[in-house]
Amino acid sequence: MDSTIAQKTWELENNILAVEAPDPSSDFIFYYDEVAQAMSLKAKPWANDPHFFKRVKISALALLKMVIHARSGGTIEVMGLMIGKTDGDAIIVMDAFALPVEGTETRVNAQADAYEYMVDYSQTNKLCLTYENGFCWFIGWYHSHPGYGCWLSGIDVSTQMLNQQFQEPFLAVVIDPTRTVSSGKVDIGAFRTYPEGYKPTDDPISEYQTIPLNKIEDFGVHCKQYYALNISYFKSSLDCHLLDLLWNKYWVNTLSSSPLLGNGDYVAGQLSDLAEKLEQAENHLTHSRIGPLGTSRKKEESHLGKITRDSSKITVEQAHGLMSQVTELFQIQRNCTP
Amino acid sequence: MASSSSSGLTFKLHPLVIVNISDHYTRVKSQLSLPPSLTSTSSAATSNNNNNNSNGGENNQNPPPRVYGCVIGVQRGRTVEIFNSFELIYDPSTRSLDRSFLEKKQELYKKVFPHFYVLGWYSTGSDAQESDMHFHKALMDINESPLYVLLNPAINPAQKDLPVTIYESELHVIDGVPQLIFVRSSYTIETVEAERISVDHVAHLKPSGGSAATQLAAQLTGIHSAIKMLNSRIRVLHQYLVGMQKGDIPCESSLLRQVSSLLRRLPAVESEKFQDDFLMEYNDTLLITYLAMFTNCSSTMNELVDKFNTTYDRHSRRGGRTAFI
Repeated sequence: MDSTIAQKTWELENNILAVEAPDPSSDFIFYYDEVAQAMSLKAKPWANDPHFFKRVKISALALLKMVIHARSGGTIEVMGLMIGKTDGDAIIVMDAFALPVEGTETRVNAQADAYEYMVDYSQTNKLCLTYENGFCWFIGWYHSHPGYGCWLSGIDVSTQMLNQQFQEPFLAVVIDPTRTVSSGKVDIGAFRTYPEGYKPTDDPISEYQTIPLNKIEDFGVHCKQYYALNISYFKSSLDCHLLDLLWNKYWVNTLSSSPLLGNGDYVAGQLSDLAEKLEQAENHLTHSRIGPLGTSRKKEESHLGKITRDSSKITVEQAHGLMSQVTELFQIQRNCTP
Repeated sequence: MASSSSSGLTFKLHPLVIVNISDHYTRVKSQLSLPPSLTSTSSAATSNNNNNNSNGGENNQNPPPRVYGCVIGVQRGRTVEIFNSFELIYDPSTRSLDRSFLEKKQELYKKVFPHFYVLGWYSTGSDAQESDMHFHKALMDINESPLYVLLNPAINPAQKDLPVTIYESELHVIDGVPQLIFVRSSYTIETVEAERISVDHVAHLKPSGGSAATQLAAQLTGIHSAIKMLNSRIRVLHQYLVGMQKGDIPCESSLLRQVSSLLRRLPAVESEKFQDDFLMEYNDTLLITYLAMFTNCSSTMNELVDKFNTTYDRHSRRGGRTAFI
């Protein structure tokens, strides 16, 4: 009895909508309706409203490909393109593929051979009849920010603004593979930029995420120039079925995963970053003791408050990793005393 | 045709390949059958639609389309790891494989994944057929012994096992004529950590909330289901062994040997060094928790001091001191 009440409370808190098992009729999202797409291209409803697209639906396949590609890059940023279509105010991402481009620390730009690759890829797909009647429509690009969160840097914002001028409709997706692995849930964000000079009427409050000190300036300067879209995922009925069966095979991997060992240097980096932020906050505090009371105090509080949140986040992740280690230990050891 | 393989290679399959094939199949299937909301002008399509609706959405009159593609990965020693796949153009009626397309695709994938090479091909269907051998032979000039991955797209809710089989080709002498036949091989599912998390994420559609409570719940649910699975498997083994002891089930010595070797491997790790490393990790985590607590406390203390200072301000005499006296 208690457990059902607890579950209902939890579901209410987290806005969990009951997901019915997709029946074959919902697979029709995969059908490419050429006529409807051509009509919406002509109408261009996004040209008048910068806030037109509100939701993104990503297919299971696209998500898997993007996360794997992002993780395979390690600490180097990687990028790729996404294929899909639009549906009212939602952008649907059906598939994604990687581009042979490696970014340096701060910039990921598609150079000439990446453009060539894109053209090659779309041409070969045109031959393949299953790809939407030979049509390969690029709906956006994705890139990774390994270890420093999902947001658009200055270069990303200018690239996206350019894309939105010439290749509408276009979407920018950012993935953080390091945070994904350390926190155990996929860290992904979808963004669209506002056109130059547009001021959003209301400030949408985005989810707080901790950003390392060396990037925080870049984040702060540009964070008002784009907005985040809601991401939901979809999968076909066959995918559903296969994924359920897959669980029977990879539950072993869940038990044997050791996130603490894999992400050691990332955690160390986070802690040193936290230490620097603490020093900064300390300077603010000592200065303001002489200064006026009231308004300036609020800023330091939120500084320290933010730092507290960051530190608790790191701790939570560590604790989780340790929990899985301990459960493993209990299974494989007869006598262990933690 | 499908006996068990004797080549001694171990196969590892990544979930991405499975999702890829399933996506390919779904796309082809949905292109061929129009959604009921769209009215179509061609009569063949409408009759198809009507039939579909009357049969409860099952393609009974047309056999489900077969899709063909290529699988790529790496082979290290005796382990073959299949990482990714892409589609191919193949016409089963004329039995012609579009070579140029295959080469183009190979080139493109080589640029992004330079370590992978063609390991074999895939298709959908319920069982390996004779005609598949032609495709298999066609691929033999790229890889001397290609693999054949078969996915059965029929959704059977009673099924417990993954409907994916891997076949290898072996030269057997049948009736004095050496022939290539398909032999089944076993495989394991291998995941990279990020792959496992995203597959889990999509499979169970976990809430991506930021609060610590949801994260904890998600983490614990994951571990709980994995342990439940382990428990049920062990129970099955136990029942089997008890049955064997009573004599209900005939004794199978190979299975008994496997079970005893499994038991002998517990406890898996008991060395001094492991204990030391483990305790060190444990202490590190406790230290981080301590630091976080400390930061939390100092932040609360700071807020308290600020609030105190604002209320009992020494410089202004507006009602601050009266409460204190």
